[in-house]
Amino acid sequence: MSELLRPLTDIRDFVELGGPVVQVLLVVAILLWTLILERVIYYRRAMPAELARIEADWQARGDHRSWFAHKIKQGWVSAATRRIRGPLPLIKVLVALCPMIGLLGTVTGMIQVFNVMSALGTGNARAMASGVSAATLPTMAGMVVAISGLYFVSRFEQVVERESHRLNDHLVTH
Amino acid sequence: MTRAIVALALTFCSLSLMAAEPGAPKSIDELLAQTRAVRADEARANAARVQRFIDQLDQQQRLQAEAEAARAAEERRADRLSTEFDANERRLTELQQQLDAKAGHLGEMFGVVRQVAGDVSAVAMNSLVTVQYPQRQAPLTALANSTRLPSIEALETLWFEMLREMNESGKVARFQAPVVAPDGTRSTLDVLRAGSFNVVADDRFLSYLTGEQTLTTLAAQPERRFRRLAENLFEARDGMVETVIDPTRGSLLSVLVQTPGWREQVQAGGLVGYVILALGLFGLVIAGERFFALGAVDRRVRAQRQQLTQPTDDNPLGRVLNVYHRDPHTDHETLELRLDEAVLREIPALERRLPWLKILAAVAPLLGLLGTVTGMILTFQQITLFGTGDPKQMAGGISQALVTTVLGLVVAIPMVLLHSWLSGRSKDLVQVLEEESAGLIAENAERHRV
Repeated sequence: MSELLRPLTDIRDFVELGGPVVQVLLVVAILLWTLILERVIYYRRAMPAELARIEADWQARGDHRSWFAHKIKQGWVSAATRRIRGPLPLIKVLVALCPMIGLLGTVTGMIQVFNVMSALGTGNARAMASGVSAATLPTMAGMVVAISGLYFVSRFEQVVERESHRLNDHLVTH
Repeated sequence: MTRAIVALALTFCSLSLMAAEPGAPKSIDELLAQTRAVRADEARANAARVQRFIDQLDQQQRLQAEAEAARAAEERRADRLSTEFDANERRLTELQQQLDAKAGHLGEMFGVVRQVAGDVSAVAMNSLVTVQYPQRQAPLTALANSTRLPSIEALETLWFEMLREMNESGKVARFQAPVVAPDGTRSTLDVLRAGSFNVVADDRFLSYLTGEQTLTTLAAQPERRFRRLAENLFEARDGMVETVIDPTRGSLLSVLVQTPGWREQVQAGGLVGYVILALGLFGLVIAGERFFALGAVDRRVRAQRQQLTQPTDDNPLGRVLNVYHRDPHTDHETLELRLDEAVLREIPALERRLPWLKILAAVAPLLGLLGTVTGMILTFQQITLFGTGDPKQMAGGISQALVTTVLGLVVAIPMVLLHSWLSGRSKDLVQVLEEESAGLIAENAERHRV
C-alpha cells in the first residue's frame, strides 16, 4: 500500500518544498490539462460528426446561391469555428501565465531566503536551503507546465484554422 | 583593760586555789616536791612538743618526697610526649608526602571530572530531559564549578546523569510541566517528550527556553499535517505511531516563529506596494462589473436565439434582428448595410472597460519593477552607510524590492486571466452579432417564406 502511495507522497513533498506557488501551479496545470484533454477528445470524437452534420444540412438545402444562403453559410461556419475553438484562448493564457507564476515563486522564494538571512545571518546555509528550493522549484515547474502546453496550443490553432477553412470550402456556394 | 582584769581575776583564783588545795607549801620539802612535780610536768609537755615537732618534720619530708616524685614522673612524661610528638611529626611529613603523591593523580582525575561535568551540565542545560527532571541541573553545575575534591557521591551523580541523559533521549515520556503561553500566562499541562527532540502538548509544539528553563507554546505552529502527527504521538499510549520530530532540537521550529506573516510582508512593500494593491482592487471591481454585465447579456442573447421570431430590445442580438423585422422587405444591400451599422453600434458596449484590465495587467509588473528599483536604491544607501557586513541592515530594502515584485505579479496574473476570459466572452458575443446575426435572419426569413 505504501509503495502505491509513494508517488503521491513524492508529489506532496515537492509541493511542500516549493511552497504555495507550486500549489497554484499544480491547480493551473490540472486545469490546463483538463482543458487540453477535453479538446483532444472533442477533436477525435465529436467534431467530425458535427462537421459532417453541418455539411449534410447544407447539401439538404436547395438554395446555395441567394444572399440568404451566403449569410447562413457564414453564420454556420462562424458558429462551428467558435465551437472548434472552444476554450483555446483560455489554454493559451494559462500557458502564457505559467512562467509568470514560476517567476512569482522565484521571488517569494528569494523573500524566504532573505527572511532567513535577516533572522540567522548568512552563515546558516542549511536554513536558507528551503527558501532556495522554494525559489527554484516553481520556476522549473512553471516552465515544464508551459512547455508541455505549448505544443498543444499550436496544434489546436492549426486544427481550428484547418477545419474552419475546410468547412468553408465544403459548403459550396455558387 | 578587760584582759588585765580577767588576768588579775585568774591570778587571784589560782592563788586562792593554791591556797585552797595544795595550798601553800608548808615546807621546803613540799616546795621541792612541788617543784619536781611541776618540772616533770614541764618536761612531759616539752617532750610532747618536741615529739610534735618531729612528727611535723616527718610529714613535711614525706610531702616533699611526694612532690619530688610527682615532678620526676611529670618530667618523664614530658620526655615521652616530646619523643612521641617528634615521631608523630615525622609520620605526618611522611603521610603528607604520600598524600601529595597520591593527590597528584587525583588532581588530574579531578580536572577531567570537572571538564566532563561542565560538558554534561551544558548538555543538560539545553536538553529537554531537564524539563522532566529540573532538579538535576544544580548538582552538575556545582560539580563543574567546585574547586574542592569531589565526593564519591558527586562522582556517582555525574555518571548517573550521563547515563540518564542517554537513556531518556531514546524514550517517549509523558509528564506534567509548567508551560508559558504566547500571551504570558503560565499553566501546568500534560506534555509529551519525544526523546530529546521535541515536546508536544496535544497538537501544539512547545519550545524550550534554556535561559528561563521553561517550556513555551510556539506562537507559530507548523502545518496542520505535522500537528496531526504530533497529536498522534500524544494520543498514543503504546505501540508504534507515525510522528514527526525536529531533528535540530527546536532550531527549525524557532525559525518558523521568526518568519514574518503576509501582513508584515505586504507592509515591507511600502507605498509602491499599496499602490499596486489599490490598482489590483480597482481591476477586480472592473472585472466583477464586466463579469455580471457580460453574463447578463450572454443570457439574454441565448434566450433571444430560442425566440428568433420575437426580437426584444433588451439585448444586442434582438436589436440587430429588429433592423430586419421592422422592414422585412428591403433589398439585400440595404439590409446588409443596416445590419452592419446596427452591429457596429453594439460592439463598444460589449468591449467597454476591458482595455482597462489589459492596462492594469501591464502596469502592475512595471510598478513592481519600480518598487524593486526603489528597494535596491534603499539597499545601496544602507550599504554606503553601514557597509555590507550585516545582511540584516540591508534586509529592509531587499524585502521591499522583492515584495513589490511579488505584488506586481500577484496583481498582474489574475488580471491577465480575467482579461482573457472576459474578452473571450465579449469576442464570442461580437462574433455572434457580426457573422451569425445575418445568418439567423436569413434562416428565419426562409422558414417563414416556405
